[in-house]
Amino acid sequence: MKRRPVLALAALLAPLLATGVPAFAAGTTLTVGAAVFPDSLRPGVSSYASLSLLQQTNDPLLARDNRGDLHPALATSWEAIDPTTMRFHLRQGVTFSDGVPFTADDVVFSINRVMDPTTGYAYMSRIGQVQSTTAVDKYTVDIKTKTVFPTLLRGLSDIIIEPKHYYEKVGADAVASHPVGTGPFVFQEWVPGDNYALTANKNYWGGAPHFDNLLIRTIPDGSTRVASLVAGESQIIEEVPVDLIDQVNESGSAKVDEISTTVGLVLTFDPTIKPFDNPRIREAFDYAIDKPLILKQILKGQGEILQGQVLTKGVLGWNPDLKARPYDPAKARKMLQDAGYDFNTPVPITTQNGKYVSDTDICNAVAGMLNQIGVKATVNIVEGGVFQQMSNAQKLGVLYMIGWYSLGDADFASVWYTKAGYRTKWVDPEYEQLFVAARSTTSEAERVKDYHRMMEILDQQNPSIFLFGLPSLYGVSNDITGFGASADKLLRLTQVRLK
Amino acid sequence: MAFYVLRRLAFLPLTLLLVAFATFVVLRLTGNPVDIFLDINRTPEQVAALSQRLHLDQPLPMQFLIFLRDLAHGYFGESLQFSGSAAGVVWQRVGATLQLAGAGLGLALVLGVAGGIACAVWRDRAADTVISAVAVAGQSMPSFWLGMLLIEFFALQLHWLPTSGYGDLKHLVLPAVTLAAILLPNFVLITRTAIIELAGEQFVVTGRSKGLSRGRVLITHILPNAVNPVLSFLGIQIGTLMAGSIITETIYAWPGVGRLLINSIFHRDVPVVEASVFFIATTIALANLLVDVLQMLIDPRIRRA
Repeated sequence: MKRRPVLALAALLAPLLATGVPAFAAGTTLTVGAAVFPDSLRPGVSSYASLSLLQQTNDPLLARDNRGDLHPALATSWEAIDPTTMRFHLRQGVTFSDGVPFTADDVVFSINRVMDPTTGYAYMSRIGQVQSTTAVDKYTVDIKTKTVFPTLLRGLSDIIIEPKHYYEKVGADAVASHPVGTGPFVFQEWVPGDNYALTANKNYWGGAPHFDNLLIRTIPDGSTRVASLVAGESQIIEEVPVDLIDQVNESGSAKVDEISTTVGLVLTFDPTIKPFDNPRIREAFDYAIDKPLILKQILKGQGEILQGQVLTKGVLGWNPDLKARPYDPAKARKMLQDAGYDFNTPVPITTQNGKYVSDTDICNAVAGMLNQIGVKATVNIVEGGVFQQMSNAQKLGVLYMIGWYSLGDADFASVWYTKAGYRTKWVDPEYEQLFVAARSTTSEAERVKDYHRMMEILDQQNPSIFLFGLPSLYGVSNDITGFGASADKLLRLTQVRLK
Repeated sequence: MAFYVLRRLAFLPLTLLLVAFATFVVLRLTGNPVDIFLDINRTPEQVAALSQRLHLDQPLPMQFLIFLRDLAHGYFGESLQFSGSAAGVVWQRVGATLQLAGAGLGLALVLGVAGGIACAVWRDRAADTVISAVAVAGQSMPSFWLGMLLIEFFALQLHWLPTSGYGDLKHLVLPAVTLAAILLPNFVLITRTAIIELAGEQFVVTGRSKGLSRGRVLITHILPNAVNPVLSFLGIQIGTLMAGSIITETIYAWPGVGRLLINSIFHRDVPVVEASVFFIATTIALANLLVDVLQMLIDPRIRRA
């Protein structure tokens, strides 16, 4: 009995003595400095950032590449056998990292788990119309949807396939603390708030990675992240702060790699607050903002100006005929005067700080430009949780800043201008109709036509001021090759080589 | 004195209860974890399922009672964002924070007191002016700025130390110095003032007139009396130390409770926030108690009062 307190004390003190250095056996190690570290390895729970870690150990049926195009992963091919059923042929000879072969049962299990509301799977809505998933044989799966569901394939690229046998053996909590998958890397250790350590899967179906160990470290502060890259402690860092781009490029040891994301940064009006029910007034505001100047000065030329629509260039449904309004403050002021605008109306711009690249700086610049034509604009910064609360109550005020991602398909971003999307109070019957129509056909040409018209309506009606397509900026050491910035911010590392 | 300690300890749960209540109310009123947690495309079924699991479907006072009931069993609840119990999640980070806070405080105390003694001994001479000036400058420099300068110089220019992260002693140096810099200047100034004031006291004059050397008077008569003001300042500053560790942990990617707390607030991970705040409040309360007890041990006047 007497020894127990000693043992208990030893157990209590153990974490005090633990060190953060991961226990890699030997070999070459690639270190990545992550900006937003996921809070959990539990699939589908919490932030999107966890997907970047989970896709190191687990594959989806279809995978996106850095540009956002879809490629076969655990499914090698697929075909529609009727308008609401898609048949997937699975890759054969793939094993999980514990040696158990991957089969159709794992796919059925994973998708059923996602669709079970009690799982609380955050990305369930990406494949929200799925009705049932059945194994036809060991390597064939049919996914049936409730309605015609044109975004099924794209949605599936966010859903990782997990081992059924492992869940049944150890339970969901144990899976989250020690994932097993078919992916390019094998889980080794997870130290919340510090690092995620993996080893290369030498038997990866897509070709083994060219280095032995992968260490993903969290470095929340932007300048520290850049310092760790320049010092050679990490070879890749996420989210280079725009004001440090030059520092990285001039370091001589690393370069910034940039790609456009599909995030469209917009300022959305509340048209139920007068006088912003008047589309001419909303349009006048658009003329008052010098977007090229903000892009050059604040975003350092990274990213793109949105062309009168929420979609970023090249996304399915992007309308090439639309152009951003030019900067014309005199015209803006005249339009406001003609519309009888009361220049004493307070115009607070609600924004979060640090949610999007330079969000607060951009809002400050916009407010300044509006002030120049006499509009009483101010910036109202709110914390994330409070922002969500205001958003749910639809009380974000006259103007609020938000970024909408499309992930390559107009459906995902255009939904926020529908009534059901619940994120703007602007309503347009034709837009609503077209949105439903585009969702109800698998014909891509039909869908594109609908989206083009929807983007035109956005451009004419100005429910939002469409600002910028945001960049995704990575810092990459000159010591490695084969890495590319990714539009969806998922790390793709199988082609990376250490020099 | 044992009675005094027991009485103070008896008040600890009350303090913690008040802290828990304030934390709970503020977090719940400023955001709903379900909104932050589920994807923006969430379905009503998902919202209902998660709300039920977190007891968010109950009225707020009921939620607090459920929280208290669990707390009575030593259970803060399951973390919303990590797998496992909130207390476990916090406990994993405690080691890193105590290491950092301990090193920072130790450094500040040793260098601060030494600096203060030097200032007092060479009062109004070059050493005093330089040390006091550096102390004031250090005090007015924000931690994140000092942190960036230290990283730039010691990690990027000299390559002596790593820029960030958790690991061996080398990783601890820059964070500990940055944290120490918050408290150190005050320790210098408090020590300096205490010694200078004591130097004018009658017992010091007596000591000198008995023929004791300046050094002897300093060590045997002045310093023991100067310990108390430094200690009581230390007691007050434990809170500052914990607050400073939040910033320091962020700059240096140090996996401690401070960063966990900030992150959990953003995610409205109430169980983890409560557990972190409990840890920090308990640390501050116990550290204050320890300081008081030490003062009583050192100074019989306080003991008798």
